Amino acid sequence: MEGACVELAGKVPAQPVGRSEVEELTLIRRAQEGDRASFDVLVRLYDQQVLRLAVQVVHSPEEARDLYQEAFLKVYRSLHRFRLDARFSTWLYRVVMNVCLDHLRRQKVRKEVQTPDGQDGETEYFQTVPDERPTLDPERVTHSREIGGRIAQALTRLNPRERLVFEMRHYQGLKLRDIGEMCGTSEQTIKNCLFRATQKLRSELADLA
Amino acid sequence: MNCREFEENLPLFLYEELSGEQRAACEAHAAACEACRTALAQTSRLHDVLAERPSREPSTEFLMECRQSLDEALDREQHGWGGLFRAWVAALRLRPASGFAGALALLVFGFGLGWGLRPRLANVAPAPTTNSASLTGTGEDLQDARIKGISRVAPDPKTGDVRITLDAERRVTIEGALDNDRIQSVLVYALKSYNNPGIRRDTLDALRAGAGQPKIRRALIYAMQNDPNVGVRLEALDAVRGLDWGPDLQQAFLDTVQHDKNDGVRVAAVDVLARHADRALTPALERLATSDACPYVRMKCTNAVRQLAKTGDDLSNGNQ
Repeated sequence: MEGACVELAGKVPAQPVGRSEVEELTLIRRAQEGDRASFDVLVRLYDQQVLRLAVQVVHSPEEARDLYQEAFLKVYRSLHRFRLDARFSTWLYRVVMNVCLDHLRRQKVRKEVQTPDGQDGETEYFQTVPDERPTLDPERVTHSREIGGRIAQALTRLNPRERLVFEMRHYQGLKLRDIGEMCGTSEQTIKNCLFRATQKLRSELADLA
Repeated sequence: MNCREFEENLPLFLYEELSGEQRAACEAHAAACEACRTALAQTSRLHDVLAERPSREPSTEFLMECRQSLDEALDREQHGWGGLFRAWVAALRLRPASGFAGALALLVFGFGLGWGLRPRLANVAPAPTTNSASLTGTGEDLQDARIKGISRVAPDPKTGDVRITLDAERRVTIEGALDNDRIQSVLVYALKSYNNPGIRRDTLDALRAGAGQPKIRRALIYAMQNDPNVGVRLEALDAVRGLDWGPDLQQAFLDTVQHDKNDGVRVAAVDVLARHADRALTPALERLATSDACPYVRMKCTNAVRQLAKTGDDLSNGNQ
């Protein structure tokens, strides 16, 4: 498990690889002045991570695309309010998290609870990470699918904030302090949230764990 | 540490987010308390179970699709068709007094009543049409034209102007200099969004002459990265390679090498990156030199890495 977390953690860099803070600041400043090219470059620096988060918290490609688009449109509309002394990635993720939270809250209200697996048409949008385990066999695949369904179901039992905090910590590998900054709250609050999420999941998945 | 504190810290213990001191306290408590040891084992198993959740990675195609949707949404945010034509209307109304539209002439042709008005229009260029309505040259007519699409884009090599023929309830042609903001907006919109690759290619040709302008530069880069037609992407790459080099361009070429599905486009992009010799690109190119599906691209990347290293060495030697 730890290995998986370490691997995922590498996918969410606070500062995109290969680009200095100075370059990023220049891009932000230009984008704030209305330069679309600079904004496009900023989008491309972070959009893979944002989309990866979106596909994990929603049920369908359409929803993921909507989340992605809504998040970056909000970033675009409010970029002029970003203060250059803050960390852009944190600010951006705060916007993204708020969009995801709103979505999860709406979803909760609609009670449209579905498991994310086995839905038609998803494979063309989402590619499953190659599984290189040598013992992979059809029986194990079926078993994994069942467990995947149970996990997805258990995750829907979390409230939106718990769900998102858990997603960011467990599957995206972000540190609690960073998640706290993104949510605009203290590390202790996030810690409590994660604690509650873990307790609920332990209870939901007790027969598997 | 008591049992309650241990329980609260348990997730952080497993995520390795505790300080050395806190971790040691947890370990000491677990060693002494069977209930907490059991809780630790259960939560650890929970993590093992959670690792079974299939990880869904958005495919490159899906990412590109999302990028395109976002780009269109951003364009609509700035100026959709409606906004675009409202802006034209405003520009056309300014024409007689300010001369603003000296570079922008509206030419609408047709038979019937519109044809009858033809002699009254200066600078009229013929455009084929099948049906027509009246023409007054005012914005209201254009606004009401219910634009359906673009049938032709043609640059005039003599004047440098561009003529765009639009399919509407009647055919409309507008003509103006490439540096005119309205003309640019239509062409950029067409390049990014129009569904006919032939028109997109013609639009690209028309835009080449103004590639130094920010909006056009952005549109060409977009076409290189996102156009669904490989021919248009290659054409765009050819137009983009001659632009002033900058971070946006470097990122665009790197994205192209990493994500374009066509081997030829990737090879062309590697060539451009190699020529601009930025050693920061070395790790990315090294990765591609081993991971790209196409052997020729891998070879190109290997050569590019060597070239970058050589350039770096030459610079170092030169500095000594």
